[in-house]
Amino acid sequence: MPDDPERVATDISLRGFEVASVEHGRPAVIDFEITANRPDCLSHLGLAREASAIWRLPLRLPDVAIPAAGAAPPLEVDVEDRELCPRYCAQMFEVSVQPSPEWLRTRLEAAGVRPINNVVDVTNYVLLELGQPMHAFDYAKLTGRRIIVRRARPGERLRTLDGFDRQLDPDMLVIADGERPTAIGGVMGGQDSEIDRSTTVIVLESATFQAVSVRRTSKRLGLKTEASIRFERGADIAAPLVGIARAAALLAQIGAGRPLGEVIDRYSAPQRPRAIVLRGARIARVLGQDVPAGEVPGLLEPLGFQVQATAAGDAAWAVTVPSFRVDVAREIDLIEEVGRHYGFDRLPVTFPALSAAQPPPDPAIARERLVRQVLTAAGFSEAMTFAFIERQAALPFCDLGETPAAIANPLSEKFAVLRPSLLPGLVDACAHNRRRARKDIRLFETGSRFTSAGETRSAAFAWCGAAADPHWSSAPRTVDFFDVKGAVEQFCAAFGISAGFATADRPWLMAGRAAAVTAQPGGEVMHLGVFGQLLQAIAEARGFPRGEEMYVAEIDLDVVARLAADDALRVESLPRFPSIVRDIAIVIDEVLPAAAVRGTIRSAAPETLVSIAEFDRYKGKGVPEGRVSLALRLTFRATDRTLTDEDAEVATDGIVKALAAAHAAERR
Amino acid sequence: MPDPASQIEDLRAQFERDLAAATGEAAVRGVRDRYLSRKGGLLSALLKALGTAPADERPRLGRLANELKEDIETQLGARLSAVEQSRPPSGAVDVTLPGRIPTLGHRHPLTLLRERIEAIFTRFGFLVIEGPELEDDYHNFEALNMPADHPARDMQDTLYLETPMRSAVGSQATLLRTHTSGMQIRYMEQHPPPVRLIAPGRVYRRDSFDLTHTPMFTQVEGLVVGEDVTLADLKGTLDAFARELFGADRRVRFRPSFFPYTEPSAELDISCGACAGTGCATCKRTGWLEILGSGMVHPAVFEAVGYDPERYTGFAFGMGIERVAQLKWGVEDIRLFYENDLRFLEQFPL
Repeated sequence: MPDDPERVATDISLRGFEVASVEHGRPAVIDFEITANRPDCLSHLGLAREASAIWRLPLRLPDVAIPAAGAAPPLEVDVEDRELCPRYCAQMFEVSVQPSPEWLRTRLEAAGVRPINNVVDVTNYVLLELGQPMHAFDYAKLTGRRIIVRRARPGERLRTLDGFDRQLDPDMLVIADGERPTAIGGVMGGQDSEIDRSTTVIVLESATFQAVSVRRTSKRLGLKTEASIRFERGADIAAPLVGIARAAALLAQIGAGRPLGEVIDRYSAPQRPRAIVLRGARIARVLGQDVPAGEVPGLLEPLGFQVQATAAGDAAWAVTVPSFRVDVAREIDLIEEVGRHYGFDRLPVTFPALSAAQPPPDPAIARERLVRQVLTAAGFSEAMTFAFIERQAALPFCDLGETPAAIANPLSEKFAVLRPSLLPGLVDACAHNRRRARKDIRLFETGSRFTSAGETRSAAFAWCGAAADPHWSSAPRTVDFFDVKGAVEQFCAAFGISAGFATADRPWLMAGRAAAVTAQPGGEVMHLGVFGQLLQAIAEARGFPRGEEMYVAEIDLDVVARLAADDALRVESLPRFPSIVRDIAIVIDEVLPAAAVRGTIRSAAPETLVSIAEFDRYKGKGVPEGRVSLALRLTFRATDRTLTDEDAEVATDGIVKALAAAHAAERR
Repeated sequence: MPDPASQIEDLRAQFERDLAAATGEAAVRGVRDRYLSRKGGLLSALLKALGTAPADERPRLGRLANELKEDIETQLGARLSAVEQSRPPSGAVDVTLPGRIPTLGHRHPLTLLRERIEAIFTRFGFLVIEGPELEDDYHNFEALNMPADHPARDMQDTLYLETPMRSAVGSQATLLRTHTSGMQIRYMEQHPPPVRLIAPGRVYRRDSFDLTHTPMFTQVEGLVVGEDVTLADLKGTLDAFARELFGADRRVRFRPSFFPYTEPSAELDISCGACAGTGCATCKRTGWLEILGSGMVHPAVFEAVGYDPERYTGFAFGMGIERVAQLKWGVEDIRLFYENDLRFLEQFPL
């Protein structure tokens, strides 16, 4: 075995025991993290066994010779619930409670355990050395000279050794005396039967308890102990007797006491050791390496396995699993043991062969990539915010009649509910940046949100500050509704969606500056999302400065998926004849939507009208109060001939007449 | 009165300094006006002053002054024609003024890294799949060999929903997924082997915040199943991946570990980049950095999805990409990824 503690630590870590720390002292102390499958290594013996396998050293077991016993006073031990307590051993000792000798105290302290008195110290020592938890009761304090292992009765309570008064329930296993519980099985003892300086006779308990029951009890009580940690991972059915023998030897060695009477062993359904067939071919199939048949027994036996070659021709073994290896249940577990001690570093490095074509990729991945492309191109940087948020942050973004989905065991009130929208996270991110003197902010996020419809995907963005990066050539302009609408239009165009816009009403958007986005691919109206100016009170409540505007948008990606799924693009042939352009300016009511004007134009125009574009909107001098002048550029083109000026005049006149009739529009 | 001859020389020196310092047409013209202007020009002032010199010195001084005047005129003429020749053509712009830079947003660093990882595995022939963030106990735990009350569940402290709700795949979910393995279970339930995929996504654990933990983080998990997939294949795949992501000079090692859904299980360490493996604060003096967990798929998992564990073997791996990002870019505090401070986000390439 190497002298250097770092070397020892590394070699053991390469067998699966992560090193938490190495303290170079006398003695050097190495702290290992033991994985949940290896309760046997929550002990020095367990790690010593691994060490003996690594360095091929003999394993020296501790002294377990039970000294001569005196006569025992009466004690009755009954296990009522054998499922929760498969084995219960007890041994009485005559003791003289004193401080432990120096060597024992030093060792406990090196392992991080506070010495208490010789009896308790011996139980702790055995726990660390062998991994078997034990508990000492003061015999004089056991009413009725009885120990009954049973479920707690409704309403029973126990003050545990840590001083807390615990409410017990019938799912919990207790160690009771003739009257009441004196310990919680596999978890912690009670104060009433605790040993003290006046104790002369103890009952030393060494048992196994069912893992699931101990885990549930420990969880329910919020009480994690050295004992519960070991029992909930699985107990060695042979350990209770060994534990008592070792404790007896130690108590005698330090002059703390001698046994009284025989060991009481309640073990009604003895378990037979597991036998597993291990095939050499299977080892190679899993590890990708032929481990020579001659090497296999030598890898397993030092770990306590009994390995017997089977009669069959191929390399195969019947392996008997030692009782302390509760984790080894099937062949694969043995293959792991072989691989672990053969050394993962000795395995070859190969690459798996492809044997079939892959199914096509999930279109959602390409879709979200396009979302990022479009939004970063529009100047938005990508944010990532938490899916769980404060209830107060979520509430303003819930649709009418909705409540945010709550987390049953949140980390704190700040993470109490699932976000109904990505916007609360973005609003907070904007406020965070704004507090750090950043004025111009464009952020987006894609992700899941959670509403009564369940988990859905969306893309959202928030914009505040300048509409464009500042430049010396022009005066800065603050973002407005139409910047955000443009980003939404661009977004829809990227997915080939022809979107419609209408005034919307959402509790988180400012009335009059909120729009709904819809599409009608086959007549059915589909709701893509909403955008507009965030209600100032909401932004302000999250720490955004009063009086500054923030615009937000959120688009449902599941709806985008349905709309974009149909990839039926056919290219149009390019026009063969020139187009002709006519500008008209009309004065209309200022509340008349541009969409209505466009509608009237479309229905009045011949089919040669190919586009309508608003290019100016003017209010003020020369235009009556309540009216607005709207300038439109109309483009006409025919597919079969060059249009004449006269064609354009006729069409324009018809349009102007229709506008006058429908909207009392006057041509300027 | 100072010596008039030296006065002339002083003025010459002063003129030469001024002319040398003048840049641009306007400045050169300014020098001309200052020295040659009939009224108030420095040269006419000098000439006037020479008028008071003794008569016998006047001719010599006059000659010197005239030489100076000619010199000044010649030099100015040359400079002026030079600056006039370098005058910009009409319509010229100042090319040194800042341009209008189109505003481009930055992708999140975790997206950059995730896409890089996806690209590597895609090239290795892996399919990328995504799944719901809300899961049920069966797909998150039970099918992964973690029955109720299994101590290994402590490794992944779970956030539960108060009321079950519909997940993105339409199932009734009760918890926030603690890993993306649930999606792999769903995939295996629907597809026979061979399987070769990665499943990236957000996962949730009830972990308190510190420099390396957030209760939500991003995982990339991988799964390969076939008739002859071995632990050696796992080593080869992850070795190639780690060297491509971190650099060909990095060494990797596999350390046995435990996960309920893999057997054998292994942790992958890469040699520390900060100290080249000699031991430093970054790697806690070990020379190695742990980057992912992996192992051979446990037969119980195959049984849960209806694969024959005798016929098929497979490997799985999983990593938290925040940790990888922290190591790769030297990000000390994981929380920076979720604060969305633009000063942080804008440090990453577009």
